[in-house]
Amino acid sequence: MGTQLVSSSTPELALPVQVMIKTENLWKTYDMGEAIAVHALSGVTFEIDRGEYVAIMGPSGSGKSTLMNLIGCLDTPTSGRYWLNGRLVSELSDDELAYIRNKEIGFVFQTFNLLSRASALHNVELPLVYSGIPAKERLQRAQEALSKVDLVERMNHKPNELSGGQRQRVAIARALVNDPSIILADEPTGNLDSATGEEIMGVFERLYEVGNTIVLVTHEHDIAAHAHRIIHVRDGKIERDESVK
Amino acid sequence: MAGVRSDRGEAPPPLLNKGGESPGSIPVNAITQPHAVVLYKLNARTKRKTSGIWVTSREAFWIALETLRTHKLRSFLTLLGVVIATTTLIVVMSIINGMNLYIADHIANLGANVFIVSKMSWATTGEDWLKAQRRNKPIRIEDFEFLRDDVKGYKNIGAETGTEGDVKYKSHILHEVQVGGETSNMIDIGQAKVETGRYLNDTDYAHESMVCFIGQDLVSEFFPTVDPIGKDITVLGVPFRVIGVAARIGSTLGFSQDKFVQIPLTSFRKVFSARPELDIDVQAWNAQQMMMLEDSVRALMRARHHIPYKEDDDFGINASETVMGLWHQLTASIFAVTIGIVAVFMVVGGIVIMNIMLASVTERTHEIGIRKSLGARRRDILMQFVIEASVMALTGGAAGVLIALLISKLVSIVFTSSVPLSAVLVGLFLSTAVGLFFGIYPASKAANLEPIEALRTEA
Repeated sequence: MGTQLVSSSTPELALPVQVMIKTENLWKTYDMGEAIAVHALSGVTFEIDRGEYVAIMGPSGSGKSTLMNLIGCLDTPTSGRYWLNGRLVSELSDDELAYIRNKEIGFVFQTFNLLSRASALHNVELPLVYSGIPAKERLQRAQEALSKVDLVERMNHKPNELSGGQRQRVAIARALVNDPSIILADEPTGNLDSATGEEIMGVFERLYEVGNTIVLVTHEHDIAAHAHRIIHVRDGKIERDESVK
Repeated sequence: MAGVRSDRGEAPPPLLNKGGESPGSIPVNAITQPHAVVLYKLNARTKRKTSGIWVTSREAFWIALETLRTHKLRSFLTLLGVVIATTTLIVVMSIINGMNLYIADHIANLGANVFIVSKMSWATTGEDWLKAQRRNKPIRIEDFEFLRDDVKGYKNIGAETGTEGDVKYKSHILHEVQVGGETSNMIDIGQAKVETGRYLNDTDYAHESMVCFIGQDLVSEFFPTVDPIGKDITVLGVPFRVIGVAARIGSTLGFSQDKFVQIPLTSFRKVFSARPELDIDVQAWNAQQMMMLEDSVRALMRARHHIPYKEDDDFGINASETVMGLWHQLTASIFAVTIGIVAVFMVVGGIVIMNIMLASVTERTHEIGIRKSLGARRRDILMQFVIEASVMALTGGAAGVLIALLISKLVSIVFTSSVPLSAVLVGLFLSTAVGLFFGIYPASKAANLEPIEALRTEA
């Protein structure tokens, strides 16, 4: 498996080193039976550089969620190619994708997706568990990540003992803990009131400032406005790609 | 990884402790160190290979314990089958083991190198027994005298007969006492040893004396505080004088072996029965001589009973091995039945575990999605659920062991039971194996869930 990963990264060496994400004519087609095919994505091509803060925007049904799943390696494209951090990941096996998700991607979800039975600390530790990192180092790194979102003193609380904003900060700490190449946030403020939402967006701003590559998926203009580049998606295609600021 | 062009081959620095850096400047961990990042991560990956299984197994183990803790009733009901199976297995094995020890200690120990000639062979069962019961002739005093005079090379040859009845001393009465008529050398052949007084001797035998040798149960019933020697007790309505007391033998399979009165065989014949049915006890000098002696006794008895060479013996020759053989035959069938019952319980228990694990997988689909999104591979999830099923089943097995220990303790009070370590190990191993086996299908179902599908499922 390891050798496959290395060899699959060979074509990527042609890519400029500053390119973090590159997609080439991505298609995602759902076969609904009776020969009806629904194209969730029809030929999406774009690049995101290292250190960029990009929002992917579009109304519901535009294909932005599908695009996010592909970028996050949760799903594979029907056709087309996708490079992440110099690796052609669109052709990897399930377990290799799991490895990429573990090492390269930090997810922040709208519904937080924390394990309700585990403490905040253990939630943050989870990616490290699947990296096979021993308990002692896990604890130290999870505490470090929690300190970045100011939640160290609440680390032994379970998610249901935390406010929505705190839960999302735990999720962000979890996304950060394995030093991923990109942070992928899917409507991170969707379940929060606007004040808390602003606070969370502030956290993303800080993460951006220290050099993280952030991809934000949203349908809200105010939220997208925090990003420095907005990719508008509509009907499975890129409608507009604008630079803000 | 070719093309490493980093100036500094180190791991990427932590993200948030350089807050002063402006967004415009080139981030340290991105452009300047791209391949160092990859290398660092590949290193981590190698590490994952070696320590990863251990780390994720431990995680799975804690999840399993947590599940057991939070779903106590459900776990209990789920594990009932495995608990019963393990308990049954261990209890039966313990009782058989206990009886094995007992038999080795008591029944089989007739006395050193002794075999017994009697009407029936102990190892006969079923129809053979009925047939032998009709055909065999009782052993009489003439047979004893014949063997005593004609067999060569034995160390001792004795005869005994017995009946059962009430023994009285003053106003005390003891029921169901073994009353034995013995030759005077039976003290050397049988189990009883003299504690005080003396055993029946040749003079008692010759003179048909009205004397008796008693067991400890009679002492504690009739003479708790006084010396029994010289007292007269009434055996089956006839008075006998106590001349000796036997040392305590103990009980076998719940029956006391100390509730007996022994009188001279001659006195027995005079008072109770003129032609009693006898057992003849033959003692050899050593184990090697046993077979030879058995053969010569068999030959003489067959000649005496005029048995054609094709026909079976019409008497029985019984030795420790006869009892052991019979016993092993019995335990083998008990064992076969037990294995069948345990197998059924285990399979039922396993199916219940599988069922609950399938429900658990459905219930926790969202959790599986989260774990997969964070990098859990198929085999991590597979292992999580297999370990959970195994830990659950092992817990059931451990509970079964505890219950079995308790039952065995209770049984040993009234009967006999001794828990062999092997039974405990087999019980634990078997229950774990059942969990493992029946956990594989639900676990593979969980492992094969698509990450997005699983994530989309509402928690």
